[in-house]
Amino acid sequence: MNDLLAVLWIARKDLLHETRSKATTVATLFFSALTLVVLAFAIGQDERLLQDAASGALWVALAFAGVISAAQSYQADLEDGAFDQLLTTPVPRAAVYLGKLLANWLFMLVLGVMLLPVTLVLYGASLPASWPWLIATLALGTLGFALIAVFYAGLTANLRARESLLPVLMFPVVVPILLAAVRASGALIAADDLELAAGWLRLLVGFDLVYAVLCTAIYHFVVEE
Amino acid sequence: MSDASERLRRPAWLRIWGAALVPLFLVGAWLGLVWSPPDVNQGNLIRIMYAHVSVAWIGFVAVALTAFFGALFLWRSRRRDDVLAVASAEMALLFSSLTIIGGMTYSRPTLNTFWTWDAKLTLTALMVALLVGYFIVRALIDDPVRRGRVSAVVAIVVATSLPFNYLAAEWFRTLHPSRAIALDGSGVTMAPEMLATLLFNTVVAGLVYGWFLVDRARLGRIEAQLETERAERELATPSAGGVVRV
Repeated sequence: MNDLLAVLWIARKDLLHETRSKATTVATLFFSALTLVVLAFAIGQDERLLQDAASGALWVALAFAGVISAAQSYQADLEDGAFDQLLTTPVPRAAVYLGKLLANWLFMLVLGVMLLPVTLVLYGASLPASWPWLIATLALGTLGFALIAVFYAGLTANLRARESLLPVLMFPVVVPILLAAVRASGALIAADDLELAAGWLRLLVGFDLVYAVLCTAIYHFVVEE
Repeated sequence: MSDASERLRRPAWLRIWGAALVPLFLVGAWLGLVWSPPDVNQGNLIRIMYAHVSVAWIGFVAVALTAFFGALFLWRSRRRDDVLAVASAEMALLFSSLTIIGGMTYSRPTLNTFWTWDAKLTLTALMVALLVGYFIVRALIDDPVRRGRVSAVVAIVVATSLPFNYLAAEWFRTLHPSRAIALDGSGVTMAPEMLATLLFNTVVAGLVYGWFLVDRARLGRIEAQLETERAERELATPSAGGVVRV
């Protein structure tokens, strides 16, 4: 029970820090919106092509933003040695992981929900009737992404060249997440095909469950100092 | 000096193992190139399969064993487990790179392309990327204990991601029938000579992997010992270490 509270407090701390400094928000919001615009330029004028690319573009923007936000959530703590103090508090390391995970997941989910209408407008797609499933896809996809991103960001936080190292390490691991999320939201946006999306959503759920258990179990080997 | 060279000597059983690999490899090559019949559809091109599939299988075993040794290190914190994990990871990288090269050689004449987004190809390419990441992390951490722990964690995550990658890539393919190209089509209707040849070559590939694993681990233990001795010497004469390292 106390550990659960610790998770919530650590998440609250990260989110509070973010709402006050807005460092990550400003960086990622404009960055991911620009990614959407640039990708739309790259794809060109073909309306059909744009619509098909909408879900892919959305997840590319989210993935870039997710890497920044995960790295930033450790960077803010490391700057004045707050992270070491966080580790000396009598809570399990897993609670630190889950707290940061919760904060990052919420951040990515809110960002995804904000980017969704932007994507639909820029890529000429319309909101499908099964839009709650689209939100569910966003939730499951960002959870899977945040699971890996927060885990690897903790691993690289103390290493040289961490900015370039984090994506190099984590992107091959999140390929199934991105693939499943892009396919599921693509099936919903382009065809409103819930049946096709359901298969991919099951893969997302499986990935999230396995990595939630695994990463929580071995996180303490990552951050010991 | 004699002590050092004594330490570097390969034990007799390991030398016999290594020497036995050469004729075994030649027998495997003979089985694949001469003894086994040509395929009905692919003709002589099927012979690439014996080298390609056996290497690919052992590559996956090597990744699984890397994660296994990594987990052992996390559990017992014994340096030799970390040394075995690295040895296995190096072989995994070698075997998966060979798998990609072999696969490209195989798919160019049979499928008329070097690369398709087939599940198995995608999986192997990702595996190479993941293994490279494993070595990058190792290179960046100096403290041996922390290096071992972090890389063990990476190895476990990598091994866990492979089934998901396979699943995702497989679905990705099957949902696009236009790209659906079954690379193997084997397994079901393989002639007994072909199966025997493939299994023999797989055993040889496994023995090659095992030999390099044991020998690399032997070198790794010497390496670890030297590293410890050097660290102790620097502790004994701090000024010398300070001057050299700055």
